[in-house]
Amino acid sequence: MLVDFIQNTLDGLSAGAAYALLALGFTLIFGVLRRANLSFGPAIMFGCYAATWTHVNFGAGLLLLALITVGGAVLAGAYVERLCFAPHRGGSAIAAMVASFALWMQFEELATLVMPRHLYAFPLLVEGDPLALGPFTLRVDALVTLAVALIACMLLAWTLYRTRFGLAVRALIEQPSAAALAGINVPWVFVRVFALASAIGGVAGYLVVATHGQITPMLGMWATLKGLLAMMLGGLGSLPGAVIGGLALGLLEAHSQWYLGPQMRDLIAYLLLFVLLAARVPWMTTRSAS
Amino acid sequence: MDDYALGVLTNIGLFSFIALSAYLLLIAGEMSFGQQAFFGVGAYAGGILTALYGWPLPLAALAAMALGALAQFLVALPTLRLRGLYFAMATLAAAEMARILFELLHWRRSIDGELAGPDGTQGFRGIRWIFEHGIEPLHYLGIVGVLLALVLGLFVFVERSKLGATLRGIGQDPELAASVGIDVQRVKLGLAAAAGALAALGGVLYAHHNTYIEPRNFDIMLGVHSLAYALIGGLGTAFGPLLGVLLDIGVLESTRVFHGYRMIVFGGLVAVLLVFRPRGLLDERMVLWIRQRFS
Amino acid sequence: MSFLSVRDVVTAYGKIEALKGVSLEVAEGAITCLLGPNGAGKTTLMMTIAGILKPRRGSIRFAGGEIAGRAPHAIVARGVALVPENRLVFAAMSVLENLQAGAYQRRDRNAVGGDIERMFARFPRLKERAAQQAGTLSGGEQQMLAVARALMSRPQLLLMDEPSLGLAPLVVEEIFRIVAELHRDGATIFLVEQNAHMALKVAQHFYLMEQGKVTFSGDPGSLAEDEVIQRAYLGSAKS
Repeated sequence: MLVDFIQNTLDGLSAGAAYALLALGFTLIFGVLRRANLSFGPAIMFGCYAATWTHVNFGAGLLLLALITVGGAVLAGAYVERLCFAPHRGGSAIAAMVASFALWMQFEELATLVMPRHLYAFPLLVEGDPLALGPFTLRVDALVTLAVALIACMLLAWTLYRTRFGLAVRALIEQPSAAALAGINVPWVFVRVFALASAIGGVAGYLVVATHGQITPMLGMWATLKGLLAMMLGGLGSLPGAVIGGLALGLLEAHSQWYLGPQMRDLIAYLLLFVLLAARVPWMTTRSAS
Repeated sequence: MDDYALGVLTNIGLFSFIALSAYLLLIAGEMSFGQQAFFGVGAYAGGILTALYGWPLPLAALAAMALGALAQFLVALPTLRLRGLYFAMATLAAAEMARILFELLHWRRSIDGELAGPDGTQGFRGIRWIFEHGIEPLHYLGIVGVLLALVLGLFVFVERSKLGATLRGIGQDPELAASVGIDVQRVKLGLAAAAGALAALGGVLYAHHNTYIEPRNFDIMLGVHSLAYALIGGLGTAFGPLLGVLLDIGVLESTRVFHGYRMIVFGGLVAVLLVFRPRGLLDERMVLWIRQRFS
Repeated sequence: MSFLSVRDVVTAYGKIEALKGVSLEVAEGAITCLLGPNGAGKTTLMMTIAGILKPRRGSIRFAGGEIAGRAPHAIVARGVALVPENRLVFAAMSVLENLQAGAYQRRDRNAVGGDIERMFARFPRLKERAAQQAGTLSGGEQQMLAVARALMSRPQLLLMDEPSLGLAPLVVEEIFRIVAELHRDGATIFLVEQNAHMALKVAQHFYLMEQGKVTFSGDPGSLAEDEVIQRAYLGSAKS
């Protein structure tokens, strides 16, 4: 019993690490633009499919595939930013978010057109057997995911707290008007934040796909839903919250699934979000959401 | 008219109901990612009543609408004070929960010696009331059309009334509306119930048209589409959502010109159009212009 | 030619015109102040000059160039900095980081350090609290920080929106002492104030604004102070 609990906790943390990265990406965009980008997951999926296509047609090493995934996600993210968010800056938030849905539809169809099979194999992050540590099974790819996520978070923290760009991002998140008045070129910061968020998302996407060894067109929706859930659980607009929300979601899912099955796993996550929102728990609802 | 064209027209009608339910909430300033849940409630409830308990379709439709209204009312009650993205996420959570509940729904009954009814992820087949009662596709299209016309008539009537002005006022500036004595919460609750009933009506008609439904039909994509139809068609009039549905299902789907990449075209069209017209083709300004031209 | 020249500026929120055709001038090297009751449009005017709001019509010329409708960061680059109403310091960032943010646009990064030292010399209390989070500072200290932040961009024109708002009288005196000091050191300042009494003591020229238009222009002394104060708080009897 205890062994199962600890095992599930370990598995949950590793899944949670990927969710944390997704949530960070969403939060960066939300914090700065005050809007949710519903094409975030699909843009990541674009990057993953670009890597899959390369692998299927040419074969490629892990590192190259990772770079293609991240690069593809950044490219797709730039497309979304230009078409859905730049034109509506200071305008209608609903129009921006609906436009980002519309591009989601595009990405999904594009994936099925270029790669028609429902499922493609993706090279595994780590071949070979999991490690055994006493009664516990440690999957090496889970450890890699945790390590990469940790490094990504540290790099993000360094960017935010030790660079001029990071100063601008933090200022913009806190006081958009004062940031503009201080001479910060707001549209240009938006573009770069989008790229940063997409890159982080791309890393998350790669880790997930390489851990599962397969990719389907459902990845876009999946990544968006998980990222949104984790972001909201941790408190909308808070970067540390995104990490906590992601890990918490991973843990919640791992335990719910073990005791109650996959459907209850998702049901519980959504129920928790709904209840927290309905109760208007302060940490969740302090940031204005346009 | 061939069956294919009949099918397309009927679908336009059916999806107009859910687009209108999203539109109703949008003009009051609320973005709902969850109308698909109430569409599904209507579909399952209506189907169960006619296929398993022999209810006549009209009665089942009314019951389905009542259930849809109740469901959306219950979701709205704890969430109406939420704004913007928070409200949208709450509706999304509720809708996904509904979808999962549909996956867990096993309501089986023996009809004529065979088990029938919703069977979780296997779906719900045999919703054959209209076929068993000899209603031909053309007649069904007529029924859908008449109901849609009634609903549109109701919308037009409300638009021109004080209620319509109230709703748009709440959408534009809720604080101002509250300050002139409008009970914003009560209006929004009423609106939620109406939207739920509308979506459910579309759902019960959809279930009987298709004869088979499954939980996957009511996923977030449907909700996303209805919101897109409402917004791109235009928020100035109830004919806006209709236009949005027509554009996607009518023009793109049926002409098969963009076969295989319809979503790419529609998606691109929506995004580009919103850049120039953030409130859709038939937005308030366009509607005003049309009214002035023709008066 | 005046330093800042505002001509017939109209700024609207949707259908409501907050500025109904405002014209005024700010002379170089002087302190010009703008008085008027709440809701007159003073903050709207400041935000329009600074580029946060875009005017529907009219012209805003600064140092020979048109700045109306330009992006805020471009206007800062031209040499105009606004100390916003309510200060809007970056509360979660340290005092030092707030100053660094003010210098965001500066190309001459090497000189920024020196400027920060000069700010600390002018505002010793900020130096004491350099590493503290700006949100923990008192109202008066936050005001000084907001002024210092704006000065970090080395503006040629400093706009100040209600610097005395919400501050105790002693603190208000200190703020105005700083304003006078900046003026002595050559700054051009355009100041919006509710505290007409203090503002008139430092200004060389003032305007009265009511309901979106300028209703009076003159030097302190050209109108009896009680009348000025009355109109600044309540508006003219005939409006």
